Amino acid sequence: MNGRRWSLTLLIVLLAGMLAACGGGTTTGGATTVPATGGETVATTAPVAGGETAGVGTLPADCTTVALDYWNPFTGPDGPFMGTLTDSFNAANPNIQVVMTSQAEYYTQLGTAAASNSLPDVAIIHADQVATQAFRNVIRPIDDMVAQVGVSGGDFPEAVWNAGEVAGKRYSIPLDIHPMTMFYNADLVATPPTTGDEFMQAAQAATSGDNKGFLLTSGFPTQQIFSMLLYQYGGSWFNADGTEATWNSEAGVKALQWMQDAQSNYSEPNLEVDAELNAFKAGTVGMIWNGIWQTTNVTGEGVEFNGMATAVPQIGDQPAVWAGSHQLALPVQSDADPCRDAAAGIFIKYLLDNSIEWSRAGQIPASNAVRESADFQALQPQASIAPSVESAIFPPSLPGITDAFGPLEQAVVSVMSGTQTDLQAALDEAATAANQILAENKTNFGDAPAGQ
Amino acid sequence: MATTARQEPVATTRAGKRRRVSITPYLFILPHLLVFALFLGWPFFYGLYISFHNFDYLRPEAQRFVGLGNYANLFNPASVQFTRFWSALGNTLQFVLYSVPLLVALPLGLALLLNTKTPGRNIFRAIYFAPWTLSVAVASLLWWWIFQSQGGLANYYLEALGFDAPRWLSSMPWGWFAVVIATVWWTAGFNMIILLAALQDIPAYLYEAASIDGATGWQAFTRITLPMLRPVLVFIVTTTIIASFNLFGQPFFMTSGGQGIALDGGPLEPVMLQIYREGFVRNVQGSASAMSFIVASLMILVSYLNFRFLRQKD
Repeated sequence: MNGRRWSLTLLIVLLAGMLAACGGGTTTGGATTVPATGGETVATTAPVAGGETAGVGTLPADCTTVALDYWNPFTGPDGPFMGTLTDSFNAANPNIQVVMTSQAEYYTQLGTAAASNSLPDVAIIHADQVATQAFRNVIRPIDDMVAQVGVSGGDFPEAVWNAGEVAGKRYSIPLDIHPMTMFYNADLVATPPTTGDEFMQAAQAATSGDNKGFLLTSGFPTQQIFSMLLYQYGGSWFNADGTEATWNSEAGVKALQWMQDAQSNYSEPNLEVDAELNAFKAGTVGMIWNGIWQTTNVTGEGVEFNGMATAVPQIGDQPAVWAGSHQLALPVQSDADPCRDAAAGIFIKYLLDNSIEWSRAGQIPASNAVRESADFQALQPQASIAPSVESAIFPPSLPGITDAFGPLEQAVVSVMSGTQTDLQAALDEAATAANQILAENKTNFGDAPAGQ
Repeated sequence: MATTARQEPVATTRAGKRRRVSITPYLFILPHLLVFALFLGWPFFYGLYISFHNFDYLRPEAQRFVGLGNYANLFNPASVQFTRFWSALGNTLQFVLYSVPLLVALPLGLALLLNTKTPGRNIFRAIYFAPWTLSVAVASLLWWWIFQSQGGLANYYLEALGFDAPRWLSSMPWGWFAVVIATVWWTAGFNMIILLAALQDIPAYLYEAASIDGATGWQAFTRITLPMLRPVLVFIVTTTIIASFNLFGQPFFMTSGGQGIALDGGPLEPVMLQIYREGFVRNVQGSASAMSFIVASLMILVSYLNFRFLRQKD
């Protein structure tokens, strides 16, 4: 009888566990499929100045209805913006129906899809992943399509366009740029600083009592902040052919020194990742630097004070800002079909021309024409952040290049968390490890993707 | 002696029944054998094969035999893999050292307390067992909320009591405190249930006899309870060591996805996370397989020693 009551309890607990597991499943699964049936939002997306949307919406005569799979990593609040844009495309192009899927663990998903030959027709690839995905036979060259879509290097900032080229061939077209952004509490910092001196004054003025002028974590995004300062002081990540890390330069030490000083003068030591965002949201922090994707989280409705976003100041003597970029690419297909490729080109062109709609999710359009359009200029705070993307820095287009940043991240973290005090030694050590990884990648991957 | 006596009849039976070999027993184990061969046997040997190659499952064109190269690299102090792998393995061993004693002693104490006729004991049993039914992501996030520096519960109360609040999730050795506390809370209930079942199997007359002979409670515990629990304790210690070796999710989720102190080569990066990164972030699956085999050998060795050590006392 005791055993019986006991097993009943156990059963209830197990059931509760199953429910909890189900709850966990929905948060981690994160696959949002937007139905292909068109929404009613057709007319709301006005084509932007310069983009002749109507002109490209025609499939070759022998193609009937085409269904396209489109994958992206937009599992956060940005997903619905892309979903709406896809719906508008479907409504405007009845003979092309795009099904969008947003995935977490994105590159693992793409890898397993490639292994099982079930890749989508169109996919978003981050700028620093284009070469890796090209070399791993996930995406294919699209030089022909670039001509069809009618874009060229002159339409984008040079660095972001170059990120889509691998071993002499084009693999992707940039959709957006998401730069490091300065968020400031306008109740504590009246006018946002634009230079190093102004920054120090503003941070000093906002540091009093429990208030901190500027917060730096000891994890993400400090490697990105270091990289930005490195370039501002005239340094660089790698040598010209990407075989050697060069961040252990005088500029590198200067950048790291600046961060260490800023941490001890205005910040708290040893903050975990995201702690600066949470502290900022509590209203006791003057300024933080994080990705532009945090805009809705820490400004406007997201906070109870006057939270604002603007371009990061220029601390060193050259303009430079760390940034990521979402690029549009065509995954490898075993049964290549000209109709689907043509449809993909039409879809990509539509996304580029209407990237102002996407920029509402907290992105800067990569296309110069869209950034210069009156509609975009009226969009705040994106418009005030946009000029900084002209000097956005991107890693060289080499396979496995993100691996080489691992040691750098480790070095910056060790300095910011106080376990390493010799800045030069930290950067030297990271450079030695990165050089080994670069050499390993070179022998591993060879000079050109197998598919070329 | 006993074994030889037993062997003889077996041998004669086998000889006598050789002619009518029945396939029925084999059919009974066939389903399990198939599943075992498919999901354990095949991956094991394929993993061994991968560890001798330069391997990326998406680039068959780049596959080439490197012999023991991947293993040699892990023993070459100048390689990046050497530093990362051994530092991560050291971290995992530390975690085993911190967590296993707690995960055996605490559940034993709880099981002893709940093996009484206290009113409401079933409610307590359910309460202590409940966290085990959560997924690692949920358990880790809960503790992330408690330990995070911006208004987390732990530091809120520590500061209210006048203590210096440490940065649990971004500095050492506090990172281990956070991960070990979260793990103990999450998994102690499972060991408690098993020990409780074992305690209920100990016949009551042993304790009655002991009390008639004038044994104290402590004597009854050391002379009756512990010896009777030994087989179950061996099981608990072994499975807990294996579970602790497999540490991955708690440091991963509690540092926002393996950031800061749980980065590549960081002081809170467990070896399983390093293997995952080598295999599925860097996509160097040959090297990752070699790491797996070294860790697996170590786990087999530790489990073997553990069985031997605890059995010898019998």
